[in-house]
Amino acid sequence: MRNERMRTDIPSVQWFDGFTKAVLLTMFILLAFIFISAKYMSSHKMEAGGTDDTVNSMAAKVSGSAAHPFVDLPGDAQVGAFSIANLCVGLIVGHLWTMLFERNAEKQLPRRRDEEADALHEDLIGK
Amino acid sequence: MHIQDGILSAQECAVYYGVTAAVVIPGVLEIKKRVEQNPYYKPFLAMVGVAVFVISSMHLPVPVTGSCSHPCGTTLAAIIVGPFATVVISTIVLFFQAIFLGHGGITTIGANTVSMGIAGTFAGFVVWKIFRMLQFPIWAAAAVSGFVGDIVTYLVSALELALSLHGNVPLLKQWMIFFMGYGPTQVPLAVMEAIFSAVVLKVMLERRPDLLPGILTKKDKVKGRQLCAMKG
Repeated sequence: MRNERMRTDIPSVQWFDGFTKAVLLTMFILLAFIFISAKYMSSHKMEAGGTDDTVNSMAAKVSGSAAHPFVDLPGDAQVGAFSIANLCVGLIVGHLWTMLFERNAEKQLPRRRDEEADALHEDLIGK
Repeated sequence: MHIQDGILSAQECAVYYGVTAAVVIPGVLEIKKRVEQNPYYKPFLAMVGVAVFVISSMHLPVPVTGSCSHPCGTTLAAIIVGPFATVVISTIVLFFQAIFLGHGGITTIGANTVSMGIAGTFAGFVVWKIFRMLQFPIWAAAAVSGFVGDIVTYLVSALELALSLHGNVPLLKQWMIFFMGYGPTQVPLAVMEAIFSAVVLKVMLERRPDLLPGILTKKDKVKGRQLCAMKG
């Protein structure tokens, strides 16, 4: 009896809401693009190096100096650094995006009463 | 566009640091002023800052050229938080990329800020303003400015290298040699940045147009007032 009451009190929770679905779809499209590109470049024996590195090497050759990044991250250290940086960045962007742009964001940040902006919104966005 | 340590001379690095400082100072003042005017500016600035960090370190492969490069995101940032504030963001982003991700160098933060934070940002922002003055739709103006900002960043980066290293070779020739190292890979990515800028700005405006008042032109405001009046 108690359990039943509890179940009815809790609003239904979806596995994936619209935002998560959109983000996952974007991620899969980008990863598929990277995977297909990598496969193509690998099969055509392309190096797939960064243009920054290419141009820095060209410049170092011209200048005759030894160009180097401030820190050199060998092997998996680079993957680790990028993963941690991007995890934290993703959390911050997600948190602030939710605060500013979620559909119910006005509950967290009161909406500035600006009918002009509302009207422009409809006009400019074409709704 | 992340020029590494050891390529530019100390004098050149000092000049680029000086140019950066001359733009960062009004940038800090702009941030202070806008924080007082708009309570939403702080979270906007933080979000845009970390977004520029991730966008400008995200290497994407371009199979046509067989190499990878990254977009910049600074034009979109300039549209949202202002061009001077974007220079401040870029300087901080380039510092963290240099010390943690091995992207660029410490001595070249000034040079990299001049290309990505100043040239790319202001070029894209000017294009945005011109297109909006000419009453182009917001998505079109954002797309074109995103494209221009991206390409100008790499043009200026190549120019910095050419100015430093052209020696007896004509400057224009050396500039184009360096730019051809970036260009073929960068053009498709600039197209992606254009689409990204248009989509993100459109989504932001759809959700909360009241948070982005600076994006609307005077003519838009007149149109808005007319629309309000028509609605009664």
